[in-house]
Amino acid sequence: MSIYPRNILRLCLIVLIQVLILDNITLRWWAEPNNFPIFVPMVYPLFLLLLPFETTVPVLLILGFISGIIVDTFMNTAGIHAFAAVFIAYLRTNVLTALLPKNLSEYPNQSPSVKNMGWMPFLVYSSFLILIHHTLFFALELWSLENIGYLSLKIVASTATSLVFVIIYLLLFTRQVSVRNNN
Amino acid sequence: MRNFILFIRRFFNLILFIALEVLCIVLIARTHMMQGVDIMSSANALTGSAYQKQQDVVYYFRLKSMNDSLVNENARLHNLLARASGSLDTLKDSSVRLAVLPTDTLHVVTYNDYTYRQARVINNSVASGNNYITINRGTKHGIGKGMAVVSGTGVVGKVEYVTSDFASVLSVLNVKQKVSAKLKDGTYSAVSWEGENPDLLIMENIPQQIKVKKNDSVYTTSYSFFPSDVLIGTVTQTKRASKNNMQTLYIKSASNFRNLQYVYVIENKLAAQRQRLEDSTKMTNKK
Repeated sequence: MSIYPRNILRLCLIVLIQVLILDNITLRWWAEPNNFPIFVPMVYPLFLLLLPFETTVPVLLILGFISGIIVDTFMNTAGIHAFAAVFIAYLRTNVLTALLPKNLSEYPNQSPSVKNMGWMPFLVYSSFLILIHHTLFFALELWSLENIGYLSLKIVASTATSLVFVIIYLLLFTRQVSVRNNN
Repeated sequence: MRNFILFIRRFFNLILFIALEVLCIVLIARTHMMQGVDIMSSANALTGSAYQKQQDVVYYFRLKSMNDSLVNENARLHNLLARASGSLDTLKDSSVRLAVLPTDTLHVVTYNDYTYRQARVINNSVASGNNYITINRGTKHGIGKGMAVVSGTGVVGKVEYVTSDFASVLSVLNVKQKVSAKLKDGTYSAVSWEGENPDLLIMENIPQQIKVKKNDSVYTTSYSFFPSDVLIGTVTQTKRASKNNMQTLYIKSASNFRNLQYVYVIENKLAAQRQRLEDSTKMTNKK
């Protein structure tokens, strides 16, 4: 599959998973009375993380804005998702250059994945950007530093669960793509 | 001019980044002022129909619990009808005329004209700071902005965005708006939410001399957009604040927000008139 339809398809798939399934889970960590924050795992930043290496920053920013606005529309949080998504889209190139041994232009037609980056660099890359995304999102949503402990707990717990879902997504979908390419 | 173009070209990424972020901040600020941006909500046609499709699938899995809640509600309504039939004016179709002050000494009987419309919840959230519920009724079915929404068991929220087929309801679980509330003996205060547990609401500034017991009921007042005497919840805990001799009540909400399926949208026919009167009073006070 060419790179454009694949990424458009991925955007639709990830947004649908996010909006129709994950938003309804409202995970609670363990049991009721611990006063632990409830939260929604967010996997849609993964779309931005998996764009090809060569994507230029303006394109990344605009795609980040579009994906954020779509999720915003579904979740009634006009602008908050888009803000966080544009921010990580801006940081993405810098983080990738810092993590990869070779120049970004030396990976033609490839997307960041476990296969060409290795597990550890990829996890560092995704967890760092997702952590920043969640921090911005929850800080903007609650809009007060009154109970900062609660806020940070919510951020850390959401990042951890989002990462679990990111890994599940990678295990489910990257394998199929590579098999299809081998054939 | 050349330098300017060079400057733009050099910092194009940064400029685009800042422009998009400013756009986002403008959007956020506008929704926090609670007006406009109706397109940007889950009430628009596209997101609404997506949620409707999803709900069509999930609907069947919940029929059993929904049946139970409807039976319970029926029983409650029968009780209410038996008790209140004295002060009811007429009872036809879904429209109820309820005397505002049934024991008015001047023998002036006024009526609040409420119309109840049922709606199905097609999307719901309890996890964010301001939680919205999307329902499958819109202007086509007579829903308007600012109408109160209740469930079979208690208050739910207020209609905030409407399109022709769908509406978004800002639920009581939000950090933007408080709900006017009263205890059984008529002590008024406001109920708010802290943004944490979706079962727990908070009622602040109750004077200490008011004795509040556990499981006391908290109702809405006629001061707000809700009809009066709709159950908000029951008190689970009282706490005394040492500094100002007030107590804070923790309230378990009567509606189960995790599991909303059917709600009623209440239209108050006299609301516009009352709003106009109150606004004009405010205007004259300012002058």
